[in-house]
This record gives sequence, C-alpha cells and structure tokens, in this order.
Amino acid sequence: MAGAEEIEICEGGEESIEAEAKTERGDEKVLLQFLDSLDGYLTLMDSLNSKLREGWFDLASARHSMGTLRINTTLLDLKDHSASSTLQVTDQEVESLGSVHCFALSKWASKGGSGKGKDFSTVADSEMGSPRSPQLRHRGVSGEKPSDKGETTVLAADEEIKKERAKSLSVFGGLVSPKLRGAQLSFETALETLVEIANTRSSMLTAFERISKK
Amino acid sequence: MAGRASIPARNSALIAMIADEDTVVGFLMAGVGNVDIRRKTNYLIVNSKTTVRQIEDAFKEFSSRDDIAIILISQYVANMIRFLVDSYNKPVPAILEIPSKDHPYDPAHDSVLSRVKYLFSAESVSQR
Repeated sequence: MAGAEEIEICEGGEESIEAEAKTERGDEKVLLQFLDSLDGYLTLMDSLNSKLREGWFDLASARHSMGTLRINTTLLDLKDHSASSTLQVTDQEVESLGSVHCFALSKWASKGGSGKGKDFSTVADSEMGSPRSPQLRHRGVSGEKPSDKGETTVLAADEEIKKERAKSLSVFGGLVSPKLRGAQLSFETALETLVEIANTRSSMLTAFERISKK
Repeated sequence: MAGRASIPARNSALIAMIADEDTVVGFLMAGVGNVDIRRKTNYLIVNSKTTVRQIEDAFKEFSSRDDIAIILISQYVANMIRFLVDSYNKPVPAILEIPSKDHPYDPAHDSVLSRVKYLFSAESVSQR
C-alpha cells in the first residue's frame, strides 16, 4: 500500500515537472517572438528611412525642375474626396501570442461612376497568415475569373492603377517631372513598409504584454 | 487576452499624418489623403508657424477617430508632445514615429521601444 502511494506521488511529481517544462518552453517561445519582432521593427525602420530619403530627394529634384510654385501645399485638393489607399484592420490568431491586430494595405481604389469604390480585392501577397506581412491588396478583378482571362484582368487592373496614380499627381499640373513620379513610387513603397512596421509593432506589443504578465 | 478590449474589424480605414510638408506631400501622392464633407483632412502639415497646441489637438482628434487605423508622426513633432504620445496605449490607431528630412530616426525616443526597453534594463534583469 505504501509502495502504491509512493508510485502515485512520483507520477504526480513527474506530471507537474512536465507541465512546468511545457510552460517554460511556451514562455521562451513568446520571448523569442518578441525579440524577433523587435529586430524586425528596427530593420524595417532602417528600410523606411532609406525609402523616405529617396522620396525626399526625388521630390526636391522635381521641385527644382518644375519650380517651387508648382509643388507646394497650396495646390492640395481640399474638395471632399476619399483616400485611394486605405487599410483593413483585422484580428489574427497567432500561435502562442493569441489574437494580434493585423493591418492590410489596399492601394489605389477605383472610385467608379457611382462614387463607390470598385472592389477588386485580390491578395497579391502569398504570406497571408503572417502578422508581419503587409498583406498588400492590389486592385484587380476577382481571382474567380478563368485563367485564360487572367492576363486581360491584370492589364485592366494595371490601367486602373495608372489612372489613379496620374490623378493623384494631377494637382501639380498636366505635365509633371519624371522625378515626381519617382517620388510617388518611393512613397508608395514607404507606405508598404509602414504597414509592415505596424504589423510588427502589433506582434511585438502583444508578445511584450504576455511577457510582462509572467 | 484578459483586460484587452476587442477592436472591431475596420475596412477602408485611413492613415493620418502629422509631419513636415515634404513627408505629407509625398504620402498624399501615394493616395492616402482624405477630405470629408466638412473639409476635415486626415493630415496636419507642421511648419515653423504650427503651435504645440495645434499639434496636440490634431493628435487627440486623430487618435479618437474610428476611421483612422495608423497615425504617422514625425519623430521631432512627437518630441514636442512626448507626454501625450507616451501616455497613449491603445493598439489602434497605431502610432508610428517616422524620421523627417532634418531629423533622423532615434530609437531612444521611440515610444514603443521606450515601453519595452525596461525588459533589458539592469533592474528588470535583477528581479528575475
């Protein structure tokens, strides 16, 4: 009898040691995710800095060739209009972190004649599940179309995006410097980087909250 | 997560900006500019004539709007309202401090990194 009790106590002890080890591994995983996010955040900020510098330089070049009066804030459109590039915010379940806020960028929405945005949402980014991915959504025709029409729909989407880009630059006049177009592309890339930063920040803060509670 | 308010999914949320002229113009070219019927914009251009009060009001307004998901703020502007930025702790809208032409990004002043840096301080290590 005493022997059976001893065996029970030993088994109970082993189970609690296993549970503790499992909890420790979970804690280490969260800590690693936090450190990964922190590293990612700093790397992305560096990348953002480079992109912004390119944009500022191109903008300064455009201002030099087109003139200061043609590129300044007095020309900005103050009539009511919606943003062409917007965000979607959702909650994603991430292993060991739980629910994490996820930002997805939707660039160059087409307004259409009715004033409503044409919803062509197609996820271009393959890393859909990762909270770090910008989940870039290019406006194009829905992916349900047959593959033989794929090229046509991609071309149509590209045309729409070109129109939206041109419309965005039209406040600065009909003919704009190529440097201004270059600046626009740099800031677009910077925008994508910013969305990645937002996602990385979100996972970093979530991991930090988990660690702080322990 | 205990004590954490759930944020409803937001579609077509905006990116607000509180930054210098070139940064704002650049991002407006990327299509983030929004002006509503009351002529309220989702950006504030900061120059030498902009007061701290105007920056504070813009920050408070943008951070309380439901249609804004990210607020971009130049770090040198954030330094002017540092108390306000550091005391902000909601997950959405996310506050991202960005560099400006004349003021490079300094991780030491970033509000998010300041929040987490205590994990690496000597005091926190000694408590473990």
